[in-house]
Amino acid sequence: MSYRDATIAAPLARPLVTRRTRELLLGYAYLLPVAVCLGGTVLVPILKAIHMSLYNHVLIKPQEYRFIGLGNYARLLGDDVFWLTLWNSAWWVFGSVSLQFLGGFAAALLLHQAFAGRALVRTVTLLPWVIPGVVVALVWEYIYQPNYGILNDLLFRLGWLHERVAWLSDPRLAMPAVIMTNIWRGVPFFAIMLLAGLQAIPDELYEAARVDGASVTQRFWHVTLPLLRPIIVVATATRIIWTFNYADLIFVMTSGGPANATQITSTYTLLQAYSNLDFGYAATLSVVLLLIMLAFTIAYLRVTRGVESVA
Amino acid sequence: MDVASERWQLSRRQFLRTLAASGAIAAGDLAWWEEPFLSTRKAYGATPVRFQFSVPEPKRNALVESLVQRFNQSQKDFEVKVEFVPQAQARQKLITSITAGSPPDCCQVWDNWVGEFEGMGAVEDLTAQVKDWKHYRDVLPIAWETVTVKGKILSFPWVVTNDAIYYRTDRLKEYGLKAPSDDWTWDDFLTLAKGFTKADRNQYGFGMRGQGTWAVLYATEFMYGNGAQVLKDGKVVINGKEAVEGLDWYLDLLRKHKVTPPSVPTDGWRQIVEGFGRGITNTYLHNSGSSEEQKGFVGPQNFATVPLPMGPTKKRASFYFSETLTAFKAAKNREGAWRFMTFLMEDEPHAMYCKTLGLLPARKTVADRPEFAKDPALAGFVKSFPFSIVSPYLAHAGWGGKLDSEGVPLFQQAMVGKISAKECLDKFAEVLTKNMA
Repeated sequence: MSYRDATIAAPLARPLVTRRTRELLLGYAYLLPVAVCLGGTVLVPILKAIHMSLYNHVLIKPQEYRFIGLGNYARLLGDDVFWLTLWNSAWWVFGSVSLQFLGGFAAALLLHQAFAGRALVRTVTLLPWVIPGVVVALVWEYIYQPNYGILNDLLFRLGWLHERVAWLSDPRLAMPAVIMTNIWRGVPFFAIMLLAGLQAIPDELYEAARVDGASVTQRFWHVTLPLLRPIIVVATATRIIWTFNYADLIFVMTSGGPANATQITSTYTLLQAYSNLDFGYAATLSVVLLLIMLAFTIAYLRVTRGVESVA
Repeated sequence: MDVASERWQLSRRQFLRTLAASGAIAAGDLAWWEEPFLSTRKAYGATPVRFQFSVPEPKRNALVESLVQRFNQSQKDFEVKVEFVPQAQARQKLITSITAGSPPDCCQVWDNWVGEFEGMGAVEDLTAQVKDWKHYRDVLPIAWETVTVKGKILSFPWVVTNDAIYYRTDRLKEYGLKAPSDDWTWDDFLTLAKGFTKADRNQYGFGMRGQGTWAVLYATEFMYGNGAQVLKDGKVVINGKEAVEGLDWYLDLLRKHKVTPPSVPTDGWRQIVEGFGRGITNTYLHNSGSSEEQKGFVGPQNFATVPLPMGPTKKRASFYFSETLTAFKAAKNREGAWRFMTFLMEDEPHAMYCKTLGLLPARKTVADRPEFAKDPALAGFVKSFPFSIVSPYLAHAGWGGKLDSEGVPLFQQAMVGKISAKECLDKFAEVLTKNMA
């Protein structure tokens, strides 16, 4: 067929769906497997948890399984331990993340400098993050052990301690002690994130600031910090959500004790689910945790709207 | 033959003798479960029996594997397949599998879980079969009591255990202290604990437990020493005057007399056993299960066991527990489960399991063997039999989890002085009352 024949052919019938719609549908079709996977692994469990929270669902009492509406939520309002765990969670999250951030920032600034053995120091800095949480908890439990732990021994040798301190058994010290462990574990996360951000800042900006007569502090406040802001926001928000739900460390180190001094909402949820086998109430606690985190995420998205464009 | 060759010949004979003797000693010394089982399997195509075992540690694993192998080779109908599950997950895994309708055919669990499983309607009632079983009357009546719920026998009491006080005999001599007698009192106990406490040497008189279910149970045993009870005429009376006084006295060991390590509020089973083993504590309260471990830690000659001291009312109690063999209603191979469980209760498997783990046999004829009846490390437990009772916390299925989730934090609060003994027991009684059904 010649080119001329083709051009004089009858015009094609108008397609059922436009090209734009077809492309749109194709796009959705490509996304479908992922959407199904996400729906199955994220949405269904959430809906299941909400469903379970509306039932009296205690595994050891199957005969008492029944719909109770918001009964579990009403119980939660009157549960003093739940409110205590929320307060403890706030301390746990604020104490851990703020100091992890400061430590991580300091480490990132240090690792950003050129010095001999930098690669080794970077690797060592990353180690606490690489070790599984349960192992970290066991190691620190031994460090804090009052009778044969290394911490007391060290402080004794330095003459700073005259009586053995039960770091994890004293309700006043237990939370700071587990927070300290979490800080140790979380510093590398911030260090690596912020180091990546620092390395992305062009040297020209510092040179220009220096030419303009900016001091080290001024360069930090007016160049480094604003350019790191997107990373700081994203890393901090992520870490806050992780820490709020992170139960391994406390579960292994103190089981929420002594006297609920380190009981946070996520460990309390575990206790309800696996000790009391009260899946209905545990699901209620999970839903409340979800709502708190959802509120936090929405607030975070509003506050950080447009932050990414700063860079 | 010259003297030298005669010496050589003698020496060679001696060498062979020595070789034979050491071979015999080595063979005798070999752990029973490591001996090869020579008989061949009789048949293929045996029906599988799923057995869940929940204390995986090298010694127990080897022992259980060997028992399973012996059972499998002793008959042709069934083949037991053992599933080792970490203790921390065992209860949860069992409950999940029961809920899902696919429990193992039989399992090893603690008696305080059996009530919960019964509450779920999951456990097979073995009463009729057990009463026809040839060794039924040979099992201690109290052992049967630990596995009897609402008049039904739901398990085999594989091994039994009760609580007693471990103490260091070598340190007793070193510090010139009086050895505790079988009928010692709380005052004697306190005197001994004070004598054993050398804080400057990092040594303490008593390894109190503050973590886990048994933190509540041990405190309760002392309360019984003051005449208290958990239940009376079907009502919770754990917050009575005697109980409050008893708990106050017990907690004062930590709060006032400071004869315990400062770590008590978070010390669990591992810490109290290890604290004694490392020489930090000189007495502790536990069941016979750690006696074998202490033989390795401090040496069999350096410790002994004695019954709990008597309280001011001249009473005391040691709580009985059993490690059970339990079968499930939804099991696919109930006949196989029965055969395996009764095999484990036979003389040799029963004796070897108990001996290896330092526990007490549930069968009287086995318990009477010298290795149990005459072992000083077990003396305290055997002497506690007359006043041992089945743990009162087994009475209601709902109490098991509550001891952990609500009881332990309450007792810890009392330990650290956040609430008084009276407040602790009032709140605890409320929890128990609420979960009596």
